[in-house]
This record gives sequence, C-alpha cells and structure tokens, in this order.
Amino acid sequence: MRTINMRTALLEALNEEMERDETTLIFGEDVGKFGGINKVTQGLYEKYGNRVFDTPIAEPTIIAAAVGMAITGNARPIPELQFGDFAGIAFDEIFNKMGKWRFMHGGQMEMPITLRLPVGIAGGAGPEHSQSPQALFMHGPGLHIAIPSTPYDAKGLLKTAIRDNNAVLFFEHKILYDMKGEVPEEEYLIPLGKADIKREGSDVTIIATALQVHTALEAAEDLVADGVEVEVVDPRTLAPLDMETILSSVRKTGRVLIVHEESKTGGSGAEITAQIQEEALFDLAAPIRRIGSPDVPIAQNIYLEQFYRPSKEQIIQAVNDLMEY
Amino acid sequence: MAEIYKKEIQLKDYPKDVLLNFYRTMVKIRKFDENLIRLMQEGKVSGFYHSGIGSEGLSAGSIRENLRDEDYIYYNHRGCNQKIAKGVPLSKIYGDFLGTTEGTTKGLGAGIVHSADPARGVMGQAGTIGSQLGIGIGTAYASKFKGTDQVTVIYFGDGAASREMLHGSLNWAGLYNLPVIYICENNEYAISCHVSETHAVREHIADWAYGYGIPNCVVDGNDVLLMHEATKEAVERAKRGEGPTFIEAQTFRHRGHFEGDPYDYVDGELLKDWKENKDPIRNFVSRLLLDKVTDEQELKTIDQEVEQEILEAIKKAESAPQPEPGRIYEGLFA
Repeated sequence: MRTINMRTALLEALNEEMERDETTLIFGEDVGKFGGINKVTQGLYEKYGNRVFDTPIAEPTIIAAAVGMAITGNARPIPELQFGDFAGIAFDEIFNKMGKWRFMHGGQMEMPITLRLPVGIAGGAGPEHSQSPQALFMHGPGLHIAIPSTPYDAKGLLKTAIRDNNAVLFFEHKILYDMKGEVPEEEYLIPLGKADIKREGSDVTIIATALQVHTALEAAEDLVADGVEVEVVDPRTLAPLDMETILSSVRKTGRVLIVHEESKTGGSGAEITAQIQEEALFDLAAPIRRIGSPDVPIAQNIYLEQFYRPSKEQIIQAVNDLMEY
Repeated sequence: MAEIYKKEIQLKDYPKDVLLNFYRTMVKIRKFDENLIRLMQEGKVSGFYHSGIGSEGLSAGSIRENLRDEDYIYYNHRGCNQKIAKGVPLSKIYGDFLGTTEGTTKGLGAGIVHSADPARGVMGQAGTIGSQLGIGIGTAYASKFKGTDQVTVIYFGDGAASREMLHGSLNWAGLYNLPVIYICENNEYAISCHVSETHAVREHIADWAYGYGIPNCVVDGNDVLLMHEATKEAVERAKRGEGPTFIEAQTFRHRGHFEGDPYDYVDGELLKDWKENKDPIRNFVSRLLLDKVTDEQELKTIDQEVEQEILEAIKKAESAPQPEPGRIYEGLFA
C-alpha cells in the first residue's frame, strides 16, 4: 500500500469532501492562497475558488460565523484555527454556541461544523502556541472530539467529521503532519467513537492519543526484551469515548497506563481513569498510572520544551512500576 | 457621522389594513408583556424577564411588513417583541416561559433567549449578550453563498454594542458585503449604566458602522412608520446585493432592566416624559384618529381580539404538560 504523510492525508480528505458536497466551505486565517500555515489546505483555493476563503484575524467571529452558517442548513463549514490554543479566544463560541445551540433551542437545528485545531509541542512555539487543550471540551456537552495518530485514521476520521451533522473538534498534532503511514487509494470512513488497538498485548494497557501513540509503541517494542507485552489502545475520539474497547483491554491486562501531552491535572486521562475505576476497579492488579505534561506553562526554549512531552523512558519506567506493583 | 433618518410620511400612502396591522402587532406585544408580568407575579413564571414595554414600535415597524418567513432574525434581550412581530405563536412563547411542552423547546424551557422558530426565520439568541452579532453574519454569509435573497436582521441593545463581537461582525459584513441589517435598540441603559458611561463612540453608536463603510442612520424607534421605512430601505438594499445597513433606533424602556429592578437610576421626570409623550402606541393612535383612518371603537375591537388571543394562548401553554424528566437527554446531537 502507498504511504503518505498526515498532511497529505488530511488534504485528500478535505479535497474529496469538498468535491463530494458543494455546500462545504473552508475558511480561516491564511487558508486560501497561502494554503494554511501548516499547508493542509494547499491548492484548495485554486480548485474551489470562493468556497475557500481567508478571514480577518478574529477567532470568535470565525467560529460564530460557522455556527450561523451551519444552522441555516445551507452550508457545511470547515473552519480552521491556526493553533488549537486560539480556542481560548473563541471559547464562548465553541463551548456555548457550537456545543449547545442545537440543544438549548429545542433540537430544532443541526450543527455540521468541523473545526480543525493544530495542537502540541513543535519546536519552540511557546506557551500560547504549543498547548493541547482538548480535555477542556470533554467537559462541555454537544461536541465531538477527534484526535488521530496516523495518516490512515486522520483521513477516515476527517471525512466522517465533515459528513456528520454535529460539531466536531478535530485536533491535529503538529509533529504528526510529516509522519508517514499507509493510506489506501480507495475511499473509506472511520466512525467516531471507535477506538483502535494499535498493538496487542497481555500485560499492560497503554491508552495514548496523537503523537504519544507512537511513543507508546516504541516503548512497547523495547519492553519486549524484558518479557512485557504491552497493548496500545488509541481512543481516536475522546468524545464519544469508546469505553467498551478500553474496558475490554483493561480486563485482559489488569494494568493501565494513560499517556497524553495534555497537562496531567484535568487532562483526558483523569476522566478515563475515573471511568475505568467505576467500571473495572476489581479487574485492576495495580493503581492506574498517568503520564502527562507537567502542570506549568510550556517554555519557549527548545531544550526545555522536550521535558513537557512524555518520553519513551518515562513510559518504560511506568510500565515496569506497574509490573512490579 | 451618522445621519438622523427623516422622511415625510403620509398615512394615506398606506392601506388601512397595513396601518391597523402595525397597531395590532404593537398591542399584541404590549399585552403579551403585561400578561407575562402577571404570570410572574402569580408565581407561575420564574427567572429574569426583560420587559419590552415602551419599544413596541421598533420591532413592529421593522419586521411586520418588511420580513418574510424565510428572512432570518436574531432577537435581542427584550426580544419577545421581535419574536411576536415575526409571527411566532404566542402559546409557544408562553410555553417556553412556563416550561411546558407547548414551548418551542418542547418543555426544555426558555426565557427571553433560546426560543427558536426556524420555519419563521427565528434562529434563536444567546445568553451571552451580543453573541448573535457573530452568528448572524454566518447566516447572512450562507444566504449569499447559496445565492438566495434572504435577509438577516440582527437586533441588539446599546449594552450589547460594547461587546467586541460587534466589531468582528461589522468587519465581516462590510468586507464580504453581506445581506445583513443591524438594528441597535438603543434604550440608553445597559442595566444601570447609561450609554454615555459605556461607549467611547463620538456621538451615536451608528457612527461605528461608518468606519466599516456600512450605510447607517439614527431613527426615532418609537415611530413605527419611520422604523418601517428605514428598515424597508435597508431590506431593499440587501436584496439588491448592496450589502449591510446599520440602524440605530432610539427608544426607552418603561420598566427596569428586569422585573424587580427598582429602576431608581433613571430620572423620574425623564421616564414620565417617555411614557406620556413618546409612547409608540399612544402616539400612533393619536395619528390614526387625527387622520380619521379609524375610530376608537375599531381600535377597541382590536384590543379585545388581541386580549382574547392572549388569554387563549396562555390557556393553551398552561394546559400543556411539563416534560418527562428524560427530556433533558433529547436533542443534544442530530
């Protein structure tokens, strides 16, 4: 099978869905002629003209306009925020409007928005351009949250998100844009709410998202030498969250490590931990462990930056601790 | 700088039924309001209510003869006025206040905000005041994108005009030449703060639109016909593809920000003047009678018909059941 990077996979998904449905609209800062600062929308303006447009620098307006377009039923907006951190600028529009407008008006409208948000540490971007704020939105009803780790997942999930009649927040890790993986030529879709077991194992379950899926897989390979078989579960969407697959893995291994780049306190791992202990406490052979970013703002210094990202060594240590508990 | 909108209006230029419809709409708004306050006093409706008494002419004039069902509105924090003018059934609005299944939200409950009637172009409203300024331009954008002649009208108060979103919205509207009409219901007070205490604008709120290249004016919002004419021109401009218009409509609220507000921050003599000399309904009646368009008996008949309609709507809304507890789990996702 051919291998392409995640940037190309995302661009293919956008292109195919733009072609399939003429009500789709892409807009955001520099997404047009410039092709997006991460080059995910490159070439779409040339192909689709006014269905791809650059907006003023005004994040609340970008999201509010997407809401207003969506509820008419006349458009299927796919806005982009240049950095997921900017969700903070448009928090009310995302949290209270995208997520709740349908419900609070009696379920009388649909909200077919796919909001793309690049996240993660990527080379000294500093404390306001490196964050992973996805867990904030697990707390707000009405939003689906996708966070792919491979080009295959990214393409299949993005196509589903665009066709979905609900609001989807689509988080893309910046480091993954250049990471390659197998993606078939023919069309496929990946449903929201279906986790993927990226590696099977019998001793420890690692639940990881985005870039940390790959760090976990590398750690798992190293741990084979110690005779430890790690299972890596990638939820792929944090909302809906596929607890069935997660619990099934937990019941098999009895040991759980959760790894994400979000700050540890209040990160998605906190919620997953709580749900596991509610449903499978007595299947656990050891307390659930979590590795997240330290609870401090992300330093701009590239040397310091690496200490925010969960490392292979941290994962190996945590797995060994779980095995010895 | 914003110009004061002036126009010589002759009653004889309007069909009698149109004039009486303006009257009927204004009376309906006022009686709806008075009866809702009664329901609050009886303990049947809880929460905050922002009475629209005193500014009926603004909504009746701008909406009644100008907007079709397919034209969109985003109402403001005194927005029952606009919902009624746009034709949302009274029983459904009362149902939202009473929390019964007759409401537009089918029992979820809604006060001023969160009622919606998409079939009549009423697209809802936000509790975070002024958010509709952003959502409305998205709706207008969708109409332009689809190539329809639908117009979006965004209502907001002078208080909401201080939200940052006004500027993001005006910039998009001007930049993309959107079919959107801004109607700022300037009743001079944002809760207790006078407009002069909260805005650095030079003279009128409409002056801001000038900076974005958007045609604008200041209108006496209590003159229902003047309001009708100003909005009509804006609607025609939008339908011709000539983009947005900003109308600042001047009015005053007869009651406090919410029911229970002592309203002692407003000078008593000033309030008396607005009530006695600038009441939109009273002044319109004087004009109708002076020009002999109608007589007191005919107006009294309309009053009685409206009163009857209101009582029937309340009865319908009150007799509908409260929702089942499971209602809260319905309608989150499509």
